[in-house]
Amino acid sequence: MCRMCEWLGDGQIWYMHPKNYANRMYKLREPGKKAATSISGVGQSSGGGMGEAIEAKANGDMERYNTIVKSVNEHSSTRPGAQVVPLSECISIIKEIGMPVGAMHCICRKSTRGEEENDLMQYSCMGLGTGMFKWERWPERYRGGVKFLSPDEATEWLEYWDDRGMVHMLMQEGGDFIGGLCNCDYPDCGPIRQRIDYGLDFALTKGEYICEIDYEKCNGCGQCLGRCQFNALKYESTIDKPNIDPMECYGCALCETSCTRDAIDLVRRTDYPVLKNVW
Amino acid sequence: MYVVINPKIKIDRDKCTTPFDCKRCLRICPTAVFSVHAVRNERGKETDKTVAGNYALGVSYRDQCTACMKCVEDCPEGALTVTMPEEASA
Repeated sequence: MCRMCEWLGDGQIWYMHPKNYANRMYKLREPGKKAATSISGVGQSSGGGMGEAIEAKANGDMERYNTIVKSVNEHSSTRPGAQVVPLSECISIIKEIGMPVGAMHCICRKSTRGEEENDLMQYSCMGLGTGMFKWERWPERYRGGVKFLSPDEATEWLEYWDDRGMVHMLMQEGGDFIGGLCNCDYPDCGPIRQRIDYGLDFALTKGEYICEIDYEKCNGCGQCLGRCQFNALKYESTIDKPNIDPMECYGCALCETSCTRDAIDLVRRTDYPVLKNVW
Repeated sequence: MYVVINPKIKIDRDKCTTPFDCKRCLRICPTAVFSVHAVRNERGKETDKTVAGNYALGVSYRDQCTACMKCVEDCPEGALTVTMPEEASA
């Protein structure tokens, strides 16, 4: 069982447990108190630890960079940011637990690429839970509006982004509150970038599954190539078929959803004595 | 062992006034070094991206900058300067 499932799952996969969707998204700030900084500020040059680390790295001071990254990881190990979730489970979440859901713009893509998303097929992020009903109080945060979707509409929308090659992840805002379901890619996405470029493991946890190829079914068509954001899947010329490195696989299942021969299976990470500790 | 040093990136905010409306550097950068955020938040309204100073451009990931100069060449206001340290001190 993963650390999150032990902590929050009561014996099941933690994100299938309804209580983790039940906390309040917004808390009214006490008069005179400043807003708490969120982990999304972690890569900003203006604030705190990672800004300094990035400056040190850019100046060639790897010793200082490594020291800061280590301390940020240690400080934040109990404040996980997000976890990768395969499409099939995203759909279960929406159908069984996550309603209401509203599609909205991606705040990472807005910041890194100046992306403006103004209608359903542009929106690439999704907010979960009743907290979403208050979105109109923060028009800049929810720039471009929010569209609430039925479970069937939300499924169709998720499949559209999956088809376009986006990794799905649940945003857990530091732990036991699941507030969003994002469709992400490198380098626009904050959590993916924080993990891949800076080794901030807490920012993005690998998924509960890994992807495995059934070589009896795989004919080497190559449909899955280019779908992996994490460098886990590559083509092996000598066997004329792809190979997935289980140590690198995040279990996003983008290869699995692209396979027309049903040749890729999702297997629980915890089924393997080594991978059960690789998150 | 190679030591990688990245360039200094300077943004002239007198020239770069409406980055969220323009977004050319944000789009052209191969490693997505820049970021943009609203500086002004008016209650009940989206921030107007066409008003000078409402949004500010920042450099979030300088360690990824390769000094390819695509942003410098593409900036319509000439607001960006990218300099390797040797050249800066020379």
